Amino acid sequence: MPTITFTQPTGEATEVTVEEGTSLMRAAVTNGIEGIVGECGGQAMCATCHVFVRPEFAGQLPEVSDDEDEMLDCTTAERTDSSRLGCQIKMSGELGNIVVDVPSDQV
Amino acid sequence: MSHSAVPAATCPFTGASTPTETAAAAGEAAAAAATTFDAGIEAPVADWVTIPDLHENPFPIYQRMREESPVHWVPAVNRYMVTSYAACHEIEQDEARFSANEHNSLMKRSMGHSMLRKDNPEHQVDRDAYGSTLRPGTIKKHWNAIFEANNEKYLSELLAKGPGADFVWDYAAPYTGENLRLIMGFHNATQQDMQRWSQTLIDGTGNYADDPEVWAKAKASSDEVDAAIDEMLPHLAKNPDQSLLSGLASMPIPLEAIRANLKMTIGGGLNEPRDVLATTVWALLNNPEQLAAVKADPKLHAVAFEESVRWVAPIGMYPRETTTDLVLGGVRLPKGARLGVVLGAANRDPEVFEDPETFNIFRPKKPHLGFGGGVHFCAGTWIARAQVAQIAMPSVFEKLPNLRLDPSAETVDAGWVFRGMTKMPVLWG
Repeated sequence: MPTITFTQPTGEATEVTVEEGTSLMRAAVTNGIEGIVGECGGQAMCATCHVFVRPEFAGQLPEVSDDEDEMLDCTTAERTDSSRLGCQIKMSGELGNIVVDVPSDQV
Repeated sequence: MSHSAVPAATCPFTGASTPTETAAAAGEAAAAAATTFDAGIEAPVADWVTIPDLHENPFPIYQRMREESPVHWVPAVNRYMVTSYAACHEIEQDEARFSANEHNSLMKRSMGHSMLRKDNPEHQVDRDAYGSTLRPGTIKKHWNAIFEANNEKYLSELLAKGPGADFVWDYAAPYTGENLRLIMGFHNATQQDMQRWSQTLIDGTGNYADDPEVWAKAKASSDEVDAAIDEMLPHLAKNPDQSLLSGLASMPIPLEAIRANLKMTIGGGLNEPRDVLATTVWALLNNPEQLAAVKADPKLHAVAFEESVRWVAPIGMYPRETTTDLVLGGVRLPKGARLGVVLGAANRDPEVFEDPETFNIFRPKKPHLGFGGGVHFCAGTWIARAQVAQIAMPSVFEKLPNLRLDPSAETVDAGWVFRGMTKMPVLWG
């Protein structure tokens, strides 16, 4: 099963193992990862599951959709080139052991 | 992959400039779900709670309830009331055990069966039919200019009315009513129609006393809305615009669902931004040092808006129904139990918010539940943020720098299922 490593601004890292098809946001919320809120339940409406994806994994992710793009403009922590919404990242075998950084501000 | 870096100012809605603490409030659902039914206790009965007391000021009542138990049976309301943050959050994140499709729903009777009372997958079909009309991209490209023009018009009307004019009825209500009229595409109605429809349909939704006069008024508005929709759909099919009605005109959604969803949107899209606008301005006028900070740093308008939604959630309670025997917050609830998810109480839970009864824009930021959560997260959230925090508030304080409450008149805040200012006469000279 794929794993996700969430790295906090403090440097603390937590690895969680998830079923294929689970979103990165859902994995974080279910496992009580601090700093991922997921208010809207995964419909790219709230921008509270913002993560920074480490560059080595970026190429394996699907393109940013228009909905995700406009919502990434509304994140509390400033958007960067590595910004994604966790709810739009579905875990799969190809993603392997993805590592993401949790922003310091989410709301 | 990702777009290249965008300017930080692109999204006007976020006002983060104070230190943030992200909440770890999520995540105890699993533990509670695993608890067996027998392990729970019987819900304490809050027979001391009355509807008139809730209407006048629900917050001391919620405080006492939360201290006793996260869940009570409340005879006056004929449902269980859920008042802790953790239990309300658990409900929002679990639509399998907590259904929105309530039996004997007053809202269904008043407005028809809208998406707000449907579970997925049915809910999502209706919600997707709203397309991009309410999303940040469309707001930026299309609605903001319209909101600005409306704000100009209705703020001028407030000024023309002279000192002592009412901030709610002479400005916030017509402003939000006109915005909603255009968002929805009711080009054959007025903002006054929108206000009447909204209030009477909401009154039906809250008609627990089964007052026949309330039902008659709700029915009259419902018929008027149906007629207005029937007239607009063919017109907008030929002359499309950015409105909800226009988008729906080309969607394979049954007319019955269109009608119900639009009535729900009339109910949810006018009174709430109106109430947040007035409550936020009222709170700032009562806290001059916070008002001074907002005037000095325009980013704080958005922070004040969010704190206001936390402090006085404009929708204070909404219903859910259990789909199975379960235990919530240690309390046993049988299948089919009717719940009130009391966001107005959850947002003042001292387990999550320090000094929760105080309006304080400088508090550590944490996620509040004022817009709901999960699949029913308020679809109008970004519209509300734009028209209130981005356009109305900065303009009000810029054009009326000496705005103050009229000391010779009464100011009234009221309500619990819906709460806001009902009287707010102001001076500015």
